Amino acid sequence: MTRLKTLIAVVGLGSLVTLYLQGCKKEQFTIETTDDVNMTGYFIKNSDSFSLFKQILDRTETSAFLNAYGAYTCFAPTNSGVTKYLQDIGASSVDAANLDTLKEMVKFHLLSDTITTGAFTDGKLPLPTMLGQYIITGVENKGGISSYYINRQAIITKSNVKVANGIIHEIDNVLRAAKTTLSAQIEANPDFSIFVQALKETGYYTKLNTVDPDPAKRWNSVIVETNKSLADSGITSYTALKAKYSQTGNPADPKDSLNMYVAYHILPDLKYLADIIIASSHLTLLPQEVVSAKQENQRVLINDDVFNGVYEKGVELIRTESDNSAINGVWHTALGHFMVKFRKPQAVYWDVSAFSEIMKLPSFYKRGNYSFVKANDLDRPLKDIDWHYNSASTTMTYSYSSTGSITVNALNWDVNILPIGPPLRASWWEYKTPVIVKGRYKVWICYRTQRQSSSSVCRTNVKINGVQMQREAVFTEFMPSGTDAEREAIGWKRYTGVVNNNFASRLVGTVDIATTGRQVLRFEAITGTQNTNNLDMIHFIPVDANQILPRFNADGTLVWQ
Amino acid sequence: MNAMRNITIYIVLLALAGTIASCSKWLELKPQDGIIREEFWKTKEQVEAAVTGIYASMMGGTVSTNLAVERALPEYFFLWGEGRTDMVSPTARSSTSEIDLTTMNILPANDIVNWRFVYQTINYCNTVIELAPGVLKSDATFTQQALDRALSQAYAIRALMYFYLVRSFRDAPLKLDATVSDQNLKPVPKSSADTILNQIVTDLKKAEAGAPTTFGNTTIDKGRVTKYAINAILADVYLWRDQYAECVAECDKIMQSFQFGLVAGDASWFEKLYVTGASSEHIFSLQFDAQKLNSFYFMHATANRRWSAAPHLMDDVFGMDILNVPPKVDIRGDGASLRAGDFTIWKYVGANSSALRSAEQSTAPWTFYRYADVLLIKAEALNEQNRSLDAWELVKTIRNRAGAIDFKGLPDSTSRTSMQDFILEERQREFAFEGKRWYDVLRMAKRNNYERLDLLLNMATISVPPDKQQSALAKLKDKNSHYFPIYLYELQTNNLLEQNPFYK
Repeated sequence: MTRLKTLIAVVGLGSLVTLYLQGCKKEQFTIETTDDVNMTGYFIKNSDSFSLFKQILDRTETSAFLNAYGAYTCFAPTNSGVTKYLQDIGASSVDAANLDTLKEMVKFHLLSDTITTGAFTDGKLPLPTMLGQYIITGVENKGGISSYYINRQAIITKSNVKVANGIIHEIDNVLRAAKTTLSAQIEANPDFSIFVQALKETGYYTKLNTVDPDPAKRWNSVIVETNKSLADSGITSYTALKAKYSQTGNPADPKDSLNMYVAYHILPDLKYLADIIIASSHLTLLPQEVVSAKQENQRVLINDDVFNGVYEKGVELIRTESDNSAINGVWHTALGHFMVKFRKPQAVYWDVSAFSEIMKLPSFYKRGNYSFVKANDLDRPLKDIDWHYNSASTTMTYSYSSTGSITVNALNWDVNILPIGPPLRASWWEYKTPVIVKGRYKVWICYRTQRQSSSSVCRTNVKINGVQMQREAVFTEFMPSGTDAEREAIGWKRYTGVVNNNFASRLVGTVDIATTGRQVLRFEAITGTQNTNNLDMIHFIPVDANQILPRFNADGTLVWQ
Repeated sequence: MNAMRNITIYIVLLALAGTIASCSKWLELKPQDGIIREEFWKTKEQVEAAVTGIYASMMGGTVSTNLAVERALPEYFFLWGEGRTDMVSPTARSSTSEIDLTTMNILPANDIVNWRFVYQTINYCNTVIELAPGVLKSDATFTQQALDRALSQAYAIRALMYFYLVRSFRDAPLKLDATVSDQNLKPVPKSSADTILNQIVTDLKKAEAGAPTTFGNTTIDKGRVTKYAINAILADVYLWRDQYAECVAECDKIMQSFQFGLVAGDASWFEKLYVTGASSEHIFSLQFDAQKLNSFYFMHATANRRWSAAPHLMDDVFGMDILNVPPKVDIRGDGASLRAGDFTIWKYVGANSSALRSAEQSTAPWTFYRYADVLLIKAEALNEQNRSLDAWELVKTIRNRAGAIDFKGLPDSTSRTSMQDFILEERQREFAFEGKRWYDVLRMAKRNNYERLDLLLNMATISVPPDKQQSALAKLKDKNSHYFPIYLYELQTNNLLEQNPFYK
C-alpha cells in the first residue's frame, strides 16, 4: 500500500513539475506597430540588387539617417548601375572612390518628401534633391515598352516601393548631377557662337557663370538662338547683330537694345519646357517685359500671338535640344529669332458681354437672355468672370434685347447684370480684361443707370490689379447734363452714338498698367444693394488720347464726331 | 439485486444509444435569420428571384457608400469607358484616383480599377447556372423552357461582364464555377484575352438558343436580356475580334426582326431615350426607378460634380452652325449630352433639355445597347470589309435623325481610313458619355497590329494636361498601358495573379 502511495506521489509530483516547466515559457508579444522595414533595411533585404549602393551609403554615413523615421524619396540605383558609375569615375571599388564625390552622388538621389510617380510631370519634380539641384522626369518608349525616364539618364525598373520612412524608386543607372554652369554649357557648342559673344559683351555671361549660394537667386532659364536661326533672319555674324540692335554702341549699358535683346532671352527661375507651357506668359530679365508661351500640336511656341487682330508668328523651342540642366539653371534652343516688341499704349474699348461662354451659344448670343448660375462658392461657370456667391446673387444674367429700354442703346444691345450689395447680394465682381499694352490709361465704366426702386443705391470701388481707382462706380447714378467738355471736366462722358441720358460713362481714375497682358478688374461693393446693375462696356484710353470719341452705336459702328 | 442492476444498466445504455443517434442534429446550428442553400433552390419562383438578383447586383451600391470601397457598376463602366478619353474633364471636386485616370497616371492602388463588383455579378450568374438545373427535379411546374430562359440570362450577363473585363484589363481570371462554400476559395490565375473571348462567344451562343424574344411586356424587355440583346453583345464581341462577317450577320438578325427603330429626333427625343428609358430604340439597359436610384446625380449634378464635359466638345465635336438663321442644331449637343453654358454632363442629370433633375429623380437608365449602336457597329464592320459606301448609308441615317451639322466637311466615302475616322467621330457624338468612347478608340486603334495608334495619341493630346502630355504619349506607345493594372488588393490576396508588365 505504501509503495502504491509513493508511486502515485512520485508520478504526481513529476507531472506537476513537467507541467510547471512547460507553462514557464515566456509569451512573445510584438511591440512594434509594423514590421515594414526602413530604407536601409530594404537595401539590406534586397542586397543582391543594392549591396553596392548600401556600401556607398555606409561609407558616406547616410545609412543611419535613412534607417530612422521620416518621409524621404530615394532613387536607388541597382548594382549594375553603380558598377558602371564607378567605371566612369575611374574608381576600382566603392572604397577607392573620392568620398566627396560619393556624398554628392547620394544627395542627388534623395528628396526630403515622398514623391510617387503620380506626381511626375514632363518637367522637374516639385522639389529639389538634397544636393540642391532638380531632377527631371519623363517617359521613354524603347522597343514598345514604356518606362519612366529619370533625368534622361536612368529608367525606373520598379516604382513606388513603399517603405516605412518613404518611397523608393529602383533605377538602373546612377543619376549624374550637372557640373557645369549655363555659360560653360552654351559656350561649348560652336553653333551658338554669336549668342555667346552677345552674352559676353553684355555682361550676362558672368551672371550665368556664377552659382549663387542663395537658392532663391541661383536659377535662370536661357533661351538660346542658334547661328542658323539668326542667319534665317538675316543676321550672319555678331557684328551684324550688334549693328542691328546696339544703338548706343555700348552693349553693357542696360538701356542698350542689344543688352535688352539678351535680357529678353533669360527667364528668372528654373523653367523646364513643362513649366513654360503651363503658364501663358513669363517675365524675363528685361524689366516688365514678358514672353508668351503656348503649346500647339506638341510644339512649344514663344510669342505666338494675335494682337489687335493681327497674327504674329512665334518661335518654336526645339524639344529635343531643350531642357538641358546646368548647375545654375536650364537652357533651351529656339528655332528662330525673336526680340521684344515695343508697343505704344492703345485704347481698348471692351464690350464686357462678348465673353467666350456666351459667344459659344449662338442661339442666345445676340438673340436672347441667358443666365449663368453659380451653384456654390467654388463653382466657376465662366472662365474670365467671377463674382461673390451669395444667396441673392447666384446668377449673372446676359441680357439682350434690341428694343427693351435697358439695352436699346447698349453696344450690341446687350449688357451683363449682377445683383450687388451685401448682406444678401454679391460684395465683389471680377473681370479679366483683354490684353492691354503697358502704359497709363484712363478707365471709363460704361453702364445703363437703373435704380431697382426709387431710393436704391449701389456704390462700388473699382480695383485694377489690386490698385483702387480714384473714383467710385455707382450703378444708380445718372449722368449729369451739360456739354461734352463740361461733362469730361467732372469725369463723365456720353459713350453711346444715340443721345440717351440713361447710358452713362464714368471716369473712375487713371491706372498704370505695368505689364502688357490681361489685367484683373474688380468691383467691390461699398454701400447699397440692388439687383439691376447693368454693365455694358469698359474703356481703357491712353491718358494723352481723345477720351470722348469714338462713340458706339448699338450695331457696333463707331461715331467719330 | 443483480437483475435490478442489469436492467438499470440496459436502460441507461438504451438511453445513451438514443441520444447518440440524434446527437448530430443537435450539434448542427442553422442561422436563425436566413435561408441556407440547401433550403433554397426548390421552386421556380426562387430561380426567378435569383435571376432578378443578377440584375439587381449590377445596379449596385449594396456594400458601402464609401466610393473608395464600392461604386455601382454603371459608375465603374462610366469611368472605365470615359475617364481616359477626351470627352470629360475632372473638376475641383474630383478625387485623386479620378484625376490620375485622366492624366494616364494609373497606379495599382487606384480604387477605380477594382474589379471586385464585376466578379460579384459573375458569381451570381455562376450560381444560377450551377444550381438552377437542380430545381427541375424539385418543382414539377418548372419547365425546361423556363430553365433555359433563366440560364440564357445568366450566361449572357456573365459574358457581358467578362467582355467588360477583357476590354479593360485584357487578361483576367476566368471563373466559370460558382463560389458557394468556403471550400471553393481557391486562387485563380489570369487567362489570356483570347481564352476569355472564346468563352464569351460560347456562352452567348448557348444563351441565344434558350433566350426569349420577349418577356411579354415591352418595358421589361428593355431591362432584361432578350435574344436581340444577345445578338447585340455578340455583334460587339465579333467587332472587337475583327470578325466582320459574323458581326454583320448578328446586326442583320436585329435589323430584320423589325422590333427596333430609331426614335425620331423631335422634341420628345431626349425624354424617350434618357428619361423614360424603354423606347423602341433601346435593346438592353439597366432601368433605375424611385426605389433604386443611380449614382449619377452626385457625379454630375452642377453643384458638387466630379466630372464635367470637356470644353472643346461644342466647337470641335458637335459643331456650331454660324451660317443659318435660325442656326441648325445637332440635337445631341447642347441640352442633351451636355449643357454648353457650364459644361455639365447633361444626359444623366437633365429632366428635359433645360431643367435639372432633383436628387430623388436620379433614375436615368444606363443603356448597354440601343439600335443606333447596332447600325454604327454594322457600319464599322462593313467599312472594314471595304464596303464603305454601304457604311456611309448607315451613318447617314443616324446623322439625319440627329440633325448633324456638316461643319467639318463630309469624308471621302470611298476611303476606308477616312470613313474609319468619320464613324469614330459619329460614335463620339451619338454615344457621348455612355461609356463607349475609350473602347471605340482602342478597338479601332488596335486593328491590324495597331495600324492606327495615332487615334489614341491624338485623343491624349486633347485630354491630357500639357505638362504631362509628353509622358502620356510615350506611355501610350507601350501597348500594355492601354489596359488597367490589377488592383493592389487583388494582387495581395491572390498570389497567382501577375501584374500587367507596364505597371512595374
